Amino acid sequence: MPDLTTTEANTSTSAFPVVSFDICETYASFLKNEELSPPLAAILALSKLIETSDAGTMLELVKALNDGAGALKASTSNPISLNAGCELFIAFVTLLPHDSASFSDLKLELVRQGQKYAAEALTYRDKIASLALGFIKDDSVILTHSYSRVVMKTLLRAHERKRISVYVTEARPRGLGLRTYEELTAAGIPCTVVLDSAVSYVMDKVDFVLVGSEAVVESGGLINAVGSNQIAIIAQAANIPFYALAESYKFHRLFPLSQYDLPTHTSNILSFPLSSGGNVTSPPTAGGIKSLHEKSTNAGCIRQMTSEQIACNPGVDYTRPDLITLVFSDVGSLTPEGVSQYVVGMFAG
Amino acid sequence: MSATTTIVMSALPSKSTIKLAPAPSHAEASSSQAQNQPPKSQKQMTKAERREQQERQRAAKAATKAAGPQPSGSNQNSAQVKKGAPPAASTSASVKKGGKGPDGKPTKDTKETTSDDSARGLRIFSHFGLPKPPGPSKGDIHPAIIRLGLQFSEFKIVGANARCISTLTAFKTVIQDYVTPPNNTLSRHLLTHLSPQITHLVSARPMSVTMGNAIRELKLEISGSDIDLPEQDAKNLLCQKIDDYISERITIADQVIQETAGTKIKDGDVILTYARSSVVEQVLVGAWDDGKQFSVVVVDSRPMLEGKKLLSVLSAMGIPCTYLLLPSIGSVITEVSTVLVGAHSLHSNGAVFSRAGTALVAMMAKQHSVPVVVCCETYKFAETIQLDSFTKNELAPAGDIFSSFPLTRSKDTLTLNKQLNLEILNPLYDLTPPSSITAVVTEVGVIPPSSISSIPLALGRTTL
Repeated sequence: MPDLTTTEANTSTSAFPVVSFDICETYASFLKNEELSPPLAAILALSKLIETSDAGTMLELVKALNDGAGALKASTSNPISLNAGCELFIAFVTLLPHDSASFSDLKLELVRQGQKYAAEALTYRDKIASLALGFIKDDSVILTHSYSRVVMKTLLRAHERKRISVYVTEARPRGLGLRTYEELTAAGIPCTVVLDSAVSYVMDKVDFVLVGSEAVVESGGLINAVGSNQIAIIAQAANIPFYALAESYKFHRLFPLSQYDLPTHTSNILSFPLSSGGNVTSPPTAGGIKSLHEKSTNAGCIRQMTSEQIACNPGVDYTRPDLITLVFSDVGSLTPEGVSQYVVGMFAG
Repeated sequence: MSATTTIVMSALPSKSTIKLAPAPSHAEASSSQAQNQPPKSQKQMTKAERREQQERQRAAKAATKAAGPQPSGSNQNSAQVKKGAPPAASTSASVKKGGKGPDGKPTKDTKETTSDDSARGLRIFSHFGLPKPPGPSKGDIHPAIIRLGLQFSEFKIVGANARCISTLTAFKTVIQDYVTPPNNTLSRHLLTHLSPQITHLVSARPMSVTMGNAIRELKLEISGSDIDLPEQDAKNLLCQKIDDYISERITIADQVIQETAGTKIKDGDVILTYARSSVVEQVLVGAWDDGKQFSVVVVDSRPMLEGKKLLSVLSAMGIPCTYLLLPSIGSVITEVSTVLVGAHSLHSNGAVFSRAGTALVAMMAKQHSVPVVVCCETYKFAETIQLDSFTKNELAPAGDIFSSFPLTRSKDTLTLNKQLNLEILNPLYDLTPPSSITAVVTEVGVIPPSSISSIPLALGRTTL
């Protein structure tokens, strides 16, 4: 993957050693901060790029930004939310009018704006938590999926004044639901982990479903950890409200027409293994038995998927807008149609 | 057809039959009666006969006045109605007046058919009126407009984009040839000069939404033109504005749509399209040129069979195509990955007004979870809300103007024009509800149908 170095753009001869700017490294270092989500880290990485870039015109700068964004996208397998941040920042740079005395002033201004936005965006989670608080009644039973920082904040805030109990799905294969379980129990909230396959079993006990998001797309739909679509469909069938929490920098111009239209859907996912003589190491029927994690107990074997089998599975899925009741965001509580109108207005103008 | 005809003709008219049978058959009866007996004077007639004569005269007078109910008339009546240039919507009045009675020539009465059980005009869609051939032009119609009107009425130019571009191009000629009369300003008089031209075009074929939007923009530009400009400069400016409009809202918009929609086409896809949309054709050709490997299913329908043109273009490029008619869409829909259709116009509630049959394709696709993508420029946006295909539609003229028949049999044997009980109905458009549409691709982006009404806001325009 290409490392963006200023040596390429640096035409002037300089006596100082040239600092090479690796955008992927910068991005990774920003991500280490737990509070920052991928879009914000991307915005900060891109502002750093502007800082160290020596583009002389707007055109060069935008090109450098696009190259940087491309490099970031290529470095990860799930670039959707990262993409949202990059697009937001590049749109900000190009669409909004900037008056500045000189180009370097403009660059400084852009960097400042980028950092200011990132700082402010950290408060968005609190805003969303207070907004969602009004929808959480005393003694609510909430179902949530996997691990989401926004949802955690909301649940902890709710716990301060109300009694809530939470079901959380295991969210295989990464098992992040267990992390939610640990944090909630540590805070004193009664919590139980349910199997991904037991969601319909538990749905009638639940008052509403609360999920976070990786991205909210232009159709008003949601991209989140795989399993969210199932939960949404079951919630609609049981007439349970389905709420999504999303910061506004996660709004994305993507418009998937179906699950397979997502950028994360590669030809590998849901593919059938080739017959013997192909590249797959273990044929499907024998794979379970030859699993490395097989535990034999007297009561029977618990089989687990091999990592190749897990690799054939998607990491995120797309939830259609008609299944979502409301999207809580720092710009307010929006219906899915409202989300699409907001996105159209934000990017088309 | 009621049986009163036979009763009236064979028997002496009784009072009840006189009341039921409308005038011409009555006229026939009276004439046949007159042939049988020499006319009697009043004194010689019996009381009953005198009353009959009075009734006859009263009925005859009523018949000449009202555009009343149609008789189940003779073959000659219906033939006069059906033959010839596309008749006006209510053929009832003309049939009533024609016939073997004294007034032999059929009168073309363009009044509406009242809903009556024996009416045989177009009962549904009678509020559109059938297209008429462009009549004698009133006022000073520019030859370019006359030619355009003829092309429209004969369906030589079809398609929302094509019609709009040809209209604007013709108007450029009109504007260049226009001379401001003395004591008048261009900005005011040109509008009055253009009105009869527009009316002429509308009489040839009802105006499309695209033409309407474009003409509205043109009128705005004309009325805003600077009074102090010399005439030739003002005219050149207007022509320049027209060119800009075509380029910006149609040509360039189509290119943007081609790129955006092209990203939705992936290798191995089966794309289904209906009839012929100029935008969809561009999208498919552009995607193929980009090297994507896909195949196309072209669904077509009578009478226009526009899909044939699209098919020839696509197969000439080497794209693997399948061609079928609309009724068989159920058998292929499971193989389709995306449906791409064009639009005549886009409405505020997200509904898409398009070639008749598009709604069927969209609903079928929705049933099978196939995404339906509508490719449409923003200038096709109509601020109105349309809920059904009924309230506003257009009928194709009867007769075989589309040359859609195989020529192994003579055309006369295939057209159904001369049937008595049969009325041919060819609505040209239908409405696809927003629930069947997945996405609309415009030059401002891919938009879900529920957000269509926010397009003008997004564009920052107050008028489109």
